[in-house]
Amino acid sequence: MVDSGQKEFRKRDLLYVVPLWLLSLILPDPHLDYRQEARFRRRELFYLGALLLFPLICPNPHFHHIMVLAGINAMLALGLSFFLGYTGQISLGHAAFFGTGAYTTAILTTRYGVPPLVAFWASAVVAAALSYLIGRPILKLKGYFLALATLGFGEIFLVVVREAQELTGGVIGVFGIPWFSLAGCSFDTYLKQYYLVWGVLLGLILFSKNLIRSKMGRAFLAVAASEDAASTVGIKVANIKLGAFVIGAAFAGFAGSLFACVMSTANPEAFGLPLSVLIIMMVILGGMGNLYGPIAGAIFLTWLLDILAKYQEYSLPIYALILILLLITFPEGIGARLNIRLIYLISYWGRKKRRERVEL
Amino acid sequence: MSLLSTEEIVKNYDGVRALNRVSLHVPRGIIKGLIGPNGAGKTTLFHLISGVEKPTSGKISFKGKDITRMDPHQISLLGLGRTFQTLQIWGNMTVVENVMAGMHTRLKGGFLSCGLWFPWVKRTEKEALEEAKEILEFLGLLGRWKWPASQLSFGEQKILELGRALAMQPELILLDEPAAGLTLTEVGQLSERISQLRKQGITIFIVEHHMGMVMDMADEIAVLDNGELIAEGSPDVVRRDPRVIEAYLKGVRVDA
Repeated sequence: MVDSGQKEFRKRDLLYVVPLWLLSLILPDPHLDYRQEARFRRRELFYLGALLLFPLICPNPHFHHIMVLAGINAMLALGLSFFLGYTGQISLGHAAFFGTGAYTTAILTTRYGVPPLVAFWASAVVAAALSYLIGRPILKLKGYFLALATLGFGEIFLVVVREAQELTGGVIGVFGIPWFSLAGCSFDTYLKQYYLVWGVLLGLILFSKNLIRSKMGRAFLAVAASEDAASTVGIKVANIKLGAFVIGAAFAGFAGSLFACVMSTANPEAFGLPLSVLIIMMVILGGMGNLYGPIAGAIFLTWLLDILAKYQEYSLPIYALILILLLITFPEGIGARLNIRLIYLISYWGRKKRRERVEL
Repeated sequence: MSLLSTEEIVKNYDGVRALNRVSLHVPRGIIKGLIGPNGAGKTTLFHLISGVEKPTSGKISFKGKDITRMDPHQISLLGLGRTFQTLQIWGNMTVVENVMAGMHTRLKGGFLSCGLWFPWVKRTEKEALEEAKEILEFLGLLGRWKWPASQLSFGEQKILELGRALAMQPELILLDEPAAGLTLTEVGQLSERISQLRKQGITIFIVEHHMGMVMDMADEIAVLDNGELIAEGSPDVVRRDPRVIEAYLKGVRVDA
């Protein structure tokens, strides 16, 4: 079904098909029927093992720190992918919910001495509540108007944070946020934080995986493909959009809380438009409407930014160039194209065998 | 009492009168055909009934309830399904997911319970999958249940759209040109299935250009021309109506 209309396979195609196939073992799998499956595939277990072993293979604390940031970014991208990738809406204000989560934890732990675990859950609840209040009115908008409205919301959030100095510390921010601690164990090294962040992310992935294969996942995709058709089968389009928005915000709240605990500061500069755009970039680069794509995109972009930081003023042009090239070569995300090639390869062997049988 | 009735429906688009005081009735349990030349307002009428657009004036009632100002999803919850003239299949899902998404409102679970995969969500999902496969078997699409819906042929996508409408267990289905673009064999299969649906007690209201199909199947036919209802009655009566022949069937062999 996928290879129909493609040309005959040539031997020299093996040159790129085999390396790509090897890559596709690692990269996300965008197959549609995959959504229905409950169990973990071998590929997912491979990811899991790789994540567990990564700090042991690379003992460099800087790498651990980058992976912690990558994990936090992955939570943001995963949350936004419901709204952007699955439901097909656009939000340029996702960083505001991240900021909400970070400030909630910062204020609760430093001012009121709330334990980090409680603050962690409170952050998600506050971010979700805020997104509900914002989403109710503005999700009636579509396309460019929605983009502008969410952009405006992100800016308003920054202004409020800068001006409400008594609560948020203004432009200086909040300092001395305690480490995340759980049952007496304090997450004070990069290694511990690594396992904390990726553990939380694993939980969020499980939640997302269930959500996507349930009726809600189908409703998200239905709204993205055709709102008219969705409403004629009784799906409340406004509620589905709002749900995707609120879940994304709750994920961002969790991410913000962890970010505050890991960095031990919360500062308005971190939660502006550049971060919102970066999250969108992660979702688009990883692949829309596919669960592991945004996570792959987040890891990739976090590392890329870290590596490029060495080149100082040249970093932004190189960054832009790499993004443009990647989007040209992988318009559907990093994962999508490789799997078509894999099917292509398998079907080639299948066809070859069938041909031989016919000739006999 | 009729299942669906419209009273004096008027729809204006920026000064163009698309529908002019259309009153028609669809009794329960029949196949009703709606025919008319291009631009007669057939699809507009379907949009008004299903709530995608709102009439300028007039009243639409379904199962005795006034649905004129209701949202499309509220109307469909009352048991009204429809297909579209321009295909509105969800190409980003598999075939079986398209049908299962049609069951959305009948399945239990909210966002949180779906994400945490509570036992009842698991159970309803399993039942939904079985039921969706039964519907696909009825429509002859079971062999492709795991295919992406966008990979189906045009005719199969039209049938899948019917399957999606069936999945919500409607009492009335509006079919907007289901046979357009289908091959002759596919049209035959489709009309057979529509007749089977009527036997199951589903009322069908169908817009169709394929005259032979409508004349054979329908129990009653309404004819629209230039936004006005010019005839309503059994196929034989409509076929002989001079105004219908004048407006629509000019020189066309009706029994073709």
